[in-house]
This record gives sequence, C-alpha cells and structure tokens, in this order.
Amino acid sequence: MAGKGARKLFIKGLWEDNPVFRQILGICSALAVTNLLENTLIMGLSLIFVTSLSNVTVSILRQVTPSRIRMMVQTLIIASYVIIVDILLKAYLPDISEALGPYVGLIITNCIIMGRCEAFARSNPVWPSFLDGLASGLGYALVLLTVAFFRELLGFGSVFNIPVLPAEWTRWTIMVMPPGAFFMLGIVIWLVRSLGPKPAPKADARG
Amino acid sequence: MIGKRAFSVAYMLLLTLGFTSAVTLVYGVNEERIERNARLKLQKIVLDVLNVPVPFPSQPLNVIEVFEDRVRIHILNGQPIYMALSEDRRDIQGYAFRMSGAGVWGPIHGMMAVSRDLDRVLGVAFLDHSETPGLGGRISEEGFRNQFKGQPLPPARIKDATYFRVHPQATVRSPNEIDAITGATGTSNAVERMVNGALNRYLPFLAKLRLEQEELTP
Repeated sequence: MAGKGARKLFIKGLWEDNPVFRQILGICSALAVTNLLENTLIMGLSLIFVTSLSNVTVSILRQVTPSRIRMMVQTLIIASYVIIVDILLKAYLPDISEALGPYVGLIITNCIIMGRCEAFARSNPVWPSFLDGLASGLGYALVLLTVAFFRELLGFGSVFNIPVLPAEWTRWTIMVMPPGAFFMLGIVIWLVRSLGPKPAPKADARG
Repeated sequence: MIGKRAFSVAYMLLLTLGFTSAVTLVYGVNEERIERNARLKLQKIVLDVLNVPVPFPSQPLNVIEVFEDRVRIHILNGQPIYMALSEDRRDIQGYAFRMSGAGVWGPIHGMMAVSRDLDRVLGVAFLDHSETPGLGGRISEEGFRNQFKGQPLPPARIKDATYFRVHPQATVRSPNEIDAITGATGTSNAVERMVNGALNRYLPFLAKLRLEQEELTP
C-alpha cells in the first residue's frame, strides 16, 4: 500500500467521511461518555482498537465467508473484540471501566464498526482495512474529545481532572447532563459543516 | 445448494468456537486480577467507613494487610458485618454493614459504619451506582459523605425511625439533617431512604451482637 493511499484513507476517516460529524454515526456513545476527558479518551482508544481489529479480521476472512451469513460473522467478530476490551478494562482500569458502565459493551452496536466492515473491509485487503479502521476510530475519538473538552471545562472547570478554572467558577451543570451533550455535539457538527472546507461534491451524491 | 448451506453452518460454528475460546482465554488470564480488583475495592470502602487509616492506600498490598489485621467478618442473618478492631486490638472500634436501595437510574449499593456503642455514625460510602455523573454521582464525593461522619444516633430505637433527613442546601439546622445535592433531589432522597433503612435494619441486631461480645470479653 503506497503512502498516498494511506493518506487518503486518513483524510476520509478524520474529515471527509468522519463517522460522527459527516455520517452522524456512533452518536449514542458520543453523547453518553463525553462529560469527562479521561473516560472519553479510554472510550476512543477502545473504539479504535475494535474498529481496526474487526476490519482486519473481516478482511482476512473476506474470501471464505459466505456473503449470506456475513453480518452474523461480523457481529461475532466485533462482539468478541468488545468483550476482550471490556475484560481488559475491568482488569487494568477498574475505575474507568466502572465509569463507562454499559457503554463499553454497547460498542458492539456502534454503527461505525459494522459500517466500516460492510463498506470497506469486506472488499479490501488486510492492510488498507486496518488503516481504514484506524482512521475511522481516530475520527470518532477526536470529535468526542473535542466535545468532552468543552463539557468538562464548562461543567467541572477542569481538563483531564486537573482544575483549570478558578474555584469561583460557576459550574455549568447542564454541560454534565445529557442536554449539554446534545448542544455541544450540535454546535460541533454545525461549526465543522459550515466553517470547514466543504468536500468536493461527488458525482454519486447520496443526498 | 445443500453443500453451501452445510458449509455456512459449519463455518459459523467453527468461527464461533474459535472466537468464544479466544474470549474465554482472555478472561481466564485476567480472572484473578478482576476478582482482586473487586475485593480490593470492597476492602478499601470497608476500611474507609470504619475510619481505619491505611498508609499509602494506592498500594493494594497495604490495603490488604491493614484489612486482614484490623477487620473481622461476622455473618449475621446471611449478611456480612465487618468489625474493626481498635488500635490495641482488644476491643471493637465499629461495625460496618451493607446498604442498598433504588436510585434514580438504577440500584445504589453502599456501606456504612457505626461506632462501637452504636451511638455515632462512623462513615458512609458507595460501592456502585448509576446516578448522573456530576449530579447524583456526587454522592461518592467526600463532601457529601463526610456529612454523616460522627453524627449522633439517638439511643432509643423506634421502629422505622428517621435517623437522617436530607434538606435543600443551606437550610440544614440540626445535626441529623444532611445537605442534599443541588439538582439531584431524587438521588439525595434515595440515599436518605437507604441510610435510614439500613440503620433500622441493622441497629437492633448489632445491639444484640454487642451484648454477646461484651459478655465474652469482660
């Protein structure tokens, strides 16, 4: 795989086809785990791990898997990796595992992962599939970290649990609660879509 | 056609076997660690509510050592009571017991401890809950939990007594009133119910246990 192809994959995953603000996928966890940067970072890393390895596995098996049962196979692969992540978090980062609660397990149903398996890994070689998964996972993690940065800063007055705003700062409680997530995510999507460079209109625009 | 179907079934079966074995293997390797984490968390909380200091509590070995040295477990009606030995190991410093109740989003499990003479609360802590982070979730913070610390318990035991009451912040007047968490009335009320329920349930048993122990050690 030439470096140019890899670059293209990353531009797509991080920007042009960013799973969160372009495709509006993975929103459930993007809303749920973004009130503390620390939890968000672990969630992002978990998702990067699962997306890239699921993509690799689906790609390795792509020529043997009968296409009629491919969804079942993909779910099995994704679920296995997610449970492995869950076990590892429980063993090595018990506090964060507890804070993330059911959302680690719910990575199984995160549309980004199955979306990448279906759209890319199913019909591409192993290495590009790995990079594609990595890029999509990174795209997800970066948006979540942006949202979490503002939610934690305004809601708790801290960044990565380090207080940065003076103690007199009135915490914006709403930022910690679900509505804060909706507002922040909405603002991020709006800003990125209206201020960011627009992707070139595609011939096969999907509307 | 049949061959294709048979292949699909066999393929899926084999793949499932492979992946579940891999997951089982990962779990097997980490099982001990996960159990140790859970045990450690419980021990830390028991020591915390019983006011037994641990030097460098971030070191798991210190926690385990202090716990084994200072805490004895007594099973009462199928529930564990954690008894802390006093510093000279001759008497009991306090009793810790579990409490639980329904929170706003899910069950809350906690632990609380009372003094040797059952006249004071030693501490309150929470094992797990799913309250809103930053709101109800703040029950785990020391600021909230410490309000219970050292509060007197009336000597006369009435059935279904209200030992503690939560009040909106800055309206608290008497020692058995606890500052609620602003914006988390549901969680605060849940904690009130839990604490009172646990005290009503355990204090009579503990009084009996205390008598027995006093007879044994004159």
